[in-house]
Amino acid sequence: MKKRNPWLQTLFWIFVSFLTLFPIYWLFVVSVKPAVDLFTTPEILLSEFYWQNYVDVWTDRTLRGYMMNSLIISSGNALLSTALGFFACYALTRFRMGGKESIFFWTITNRMAPPAVFLLPLFLLMTQVYRVGDFTLLDTRIGMILVYCTFNLPFAIWTLRPTLDGIPRELDEAAFVDGASSWKVISEIVFPLCRPGLAVTLILTWVFAWNEYLLAATLTNFSARTLTTGLSEYVTTTGTEWGIMAAISVFTLIPALIVFTLVQRHIVAGLTFGAVKG
Amino acid sequence: MKTAFRAGASALAIALAAGAAFAQELQIENESWWQEAGARFDGVTLRGVTESTPPSNFISDVLAPKFEELTGIRVDVETTSWDQMYDKAIKDMEAGTGIYDMIYIEQDIVYAYLARDFLVNISQALEENPDLKAAGYAEENFTTFADNFRGEDGDLYGIPMEAFIKIYLYRTDLFGDEEIRAAFQEQTGRELEPAKTHEEYAEIAQFFTSWFQDKGEDVWGSTAQAHTGHPASWYEFFESVAPTFGVYNWGIDPDNNYAASVENGGTMNSDEAKEAMTWWLSMRDIAPPESVQSTWTEVATTFAAGRAAQGLVYGENAAWIATDDTKSRVVGNVGVALPPLAEGVMEAAESGEGYIGYYDGGAFGLPVTSKNQDASLLFLQFMALPEVQEEWAIAAPRITLDSTYDSPKVAELNEELGGYYDMLRDQGYLFKGAPAYPFHAQLREATAPIFYQILTGDLGVDEGLDQMAATAEQELSDLGYRQ
Amino acid sequence: MQSNRLGWILLAPSLLILFLFGVVPFLYVAWLSFHQWNPFAANPDIIYNGAENFRRLVFDAAFLASLGVTIAFVFFAVVSELILGYVLAQAFMKDFPGKAIFRTIHTLPLIMAPIIVGSIWKLMTTPSIGIIPNLLDTWFGLDLNIGQSAAAAFAVTVIMDVWHWTPLVTLTLIAALVSLPPDPFEQAQIDGANKRQIFWHITLPMIAPAVVATVFIRLMDALRTVDEVLMLTGGGPGSATRYLGVHIFKEVFPRTNYGYGSAISVIVLYLTIVACWLLYVSMLAPRNQK
Repeated sequence: MKKRNPWLQTLFWIFVSFLTLFPIYWLFVVSVKPAVDLFTTPEILLSEFYWQNYVDVWTDRTLRGYMMNSLIISSGNALLSTALGFFACYALTRFRMGGKESIFFWTITNRMAPPAVFLLPLFLLMTQVYRVGDFTLLDTRIGMILVYCTFNLPFAIWTLRPTLDGIPRELDEAAFVDGASSWKVISEIVFPLCRPGLAVTLILTWVFAWNEYLLAATLTNFSARTLTTGLSEYVTTTGTEWGIMAAISVFTLIPALIVFTLVQRHIVAGLTFGAVKG
Repeated sequence: MKTAFRAGASALAIALAAGAAFAQELQIENESWWQEAGARFDGVTLRGVTESTPPSNFISDVLAPKFEELTGIRVDVETTSWDQMYDKAIKDMEAGTGIYDMIYIEQDIVYAYLARDFLVNISQALEENPDLKAAGYAEENFTTFADNFRGEDGDLYGIPMEAFIKIYLYRTDLFGDEEIRAAFQEQTGRELEPAKTHEEYAEIAQFFTSWFQDKGEDVWGSTAQAHTGHPASWYEFFESVAPTFGVYNWGIDPDNNYAASVENGGTMNSDEAKEAMTWWLSMRDIAPPESVQSTWTEVATTFAAGRAAQGLVYGENAAWIATDDTKSRVVGNVGVALPPLAEGVMEAAESGEGYIGYYDGGAFGLPVTSKNQDASLLFLQFMALPEVQEEWAIAAPRITLDSTYDSPKVAELNEELGGYYDMLRDQGYLFKGAPAYPFHAQLREATAPIFYQILTGDLGVDEGLDQMAATAEQELSDLGYRQ
Repeated sequence: MQSNRLGWILLAPSLLILFLFGVVPFLYVAWLSFHQWNPFAANPDIIYNGAENFRRLVFDAAFLASLGVTIAFVFFAVVSELILGYVLAQAFMKDFPGKAIFRTIHTLPLIMAPIIVGSIWKLMTTPSIGIIPNLLDTWFGLDLNIGQSAAAAFAVTVIMDVWHWTPLVTLTLIAALVSLPPDPFEQAQIDGANKRQIFWHITLPMIAPAVVATVFIRLMDALRTVDEVLMLTGGGPGSATRYLGVHIFKEVFPRTNYGYGSAISVIVLYLTIVACWLLYVSMLAPRNQK
């Protein structure tokens, strides 16, 4: 095969990145303008910066609480969904269980449900049915972590399945013949081979949980409110605080970027692994 | 490139920015009574839900800490978006969960809550518990706006916390500009004054739009809250425009089996309604182009950005548009007037048979499902104390007590707002809130898709309003209100 | 082969959570769908009305219109995302300067919450004050008005969705591509297969499970889209972007039409399951049963 100049690739990606970044750049532009300056013929380049939105966001203690809740809920949920999804996929690919293909398909149907109408039963269940004494799941982080499993767990199962299918069964069977326990096979043979798939699943489940709005808006009130519900507080009848919303979003890019960078290393690791195997 | 920090100059802007400062300033009379009354509720936390508007933020930033300091009762206020606010309160009350001890009730939803017996009768509860009654609280002191929150028995079911009228704003700098006045005089043969009739309004709007178009400047002759997918446009038409043409109560006759179509005795598709729609659409066409995506928020910002010479704007926005120079480019140049009217509408409004525009606002109510009703009653009275209301009127321009108008600080602000408070006090009776329907959002959502199609031009005005009237009657039959 | 009991133990936590938070609420919704219930009707009680809701649904012009635009939206969005996502994933398989940075940039849209994406796209596309209509007008003399033109609003929702979610497709396809064994490709090259043949006969069959999983996820998420479109157009102009998610939201939230809204949801869920099942059976099931 002919080798193309790698710099051409870079050029291509600069173009793609420009398209990807433009709305994010515009988010930044909005965040450094007073609302009234948005209602005019727009200029692409900024001529002055208005930092008050950032000052407001930085000094808002409630928002910090929301940020903490968002971090805990999305990280907790991503870890839980990915771990349970991994075990479930191991079971689905390694055992000859009756009806497993139906179960596999059924899991994804949980993600298809239009969310608006499921809020009422979830609200009722979390306040009146799933409770221990006075403790109810409503407005708790653990409650949100569990609820988010309805869309993230099916996702994890479906994205991990191809990865686990791709690992030859002969590998684990050989280990069993050597006398390894089931746990050892899962943790030392299958798990390392799944790392790229797990990393991608972890990132994406984290993203879905981080961005979820409708469920959080209905099922949290005071103690477990997330950033997305915080954002909606700025859409009011006396004005949408575009600037503040944008400033918060720019802030939220930071933790998200850290999580991404941490997890992406494992995708890269996966890439190298593939190369070595080749 | 330069970095600019803008600081507010007006009294209002400073007040809005420094909410916390009020907590110390706020002097409550009879402090010892509040301390004793609060002692009974040791360890109680009250929880409320409201929309995150300046008046509500004053509750969470100023009133709640002050109340806790006085009584030891903690108050948590959940602020959320307009859509979510109703839904959360309704789910809580419908399921009887008892999450909230106080809920924000916008004037237009109160009849639905009353029909479902969701709210505690505050007048009666205070009568039955005289030891909870605060000396400074007086039901008689509320403005007539409180009547919106009274049941059929005349008792109060909500403590009014905000009240605004939707008014006609115009740019005094443009209306007073000599060159513009002369050109207008030459073109129309009359003086440039705020419009009294729809014809005058349209003439002024057309004049300004073409005047600035010729100059290549981005200023138009009218605002229009004409979003093609958001109920804000529906509200502007039925609550602010249609009444000025004599079409009241959304064109539905509650005394005549909730008829909407002319055929059955309603007015939703009457000639007046069609005239109103045609007029409004023609104003939308010469309004700033963003109007087709404008809700109440964007209309206010459009006006504040100096892109419109005149328009109908909600009163809660009038204050910051006129005074807050961190948000508005037209500070000091805002005039306030009554909306333009068709013939006979003013007479009807004065006699109480009609109204000239929308009186908007909200109250705090006490759900029957609350587990801390007595403590909640204390806080609701606290909100309505004259000394509290006075500070509140400065921080977030809303007035719900008659006595507040007499405060010197409020009088000062009235000047800055071009006499808005005077209008609220003296002419507020000409405005009216949403009709007393228990099916508010239901009817709106049922007819809104057709309404949006009229806005996009997919349906003609006649045909569209006919369809809306038919759909409204169908929906009311389905809901069981129309026999 | 290990004992099946271990398999069930590993599967149990997932099944339990999905049962408690997925199936139980669904049963409630299914039950409601056979009732008339609007808490603000003259009679606020839950009244059994048999299959009346479903009968109404078949003739409900608003629902059918919503279904139509939704199918168009999902089709254009998902197909574009799949093609773009695959091209970009392949591009990432090669080495070039700055690759790590570009990969991070490319994933940035994913981090943004739908309500923010909707807000920012609204600010960018509002007539007269948005940057995009202004640029289109200056450069090409085009008039983009998402508040008046149904086609413009539809196109913007599709482009917004493609912008937001193509990175997800890229990421999942990268994960699939990196775990492919190199041997079949080397063999194919030795046999003199051209690029197209390699794609259709080797790459595609091998990554098919990942592609189907990705299509499923995008398909059902696009079907559920609410926040972004609600912020951008509110479902307008008219009902041009009133996709099913938005339609159901408006039925059950402001209109509190719980009974009828439940019936719509049940039907939508049913249609989605059938569509996915057909896709699944035709593409994947045989291979999994091996």
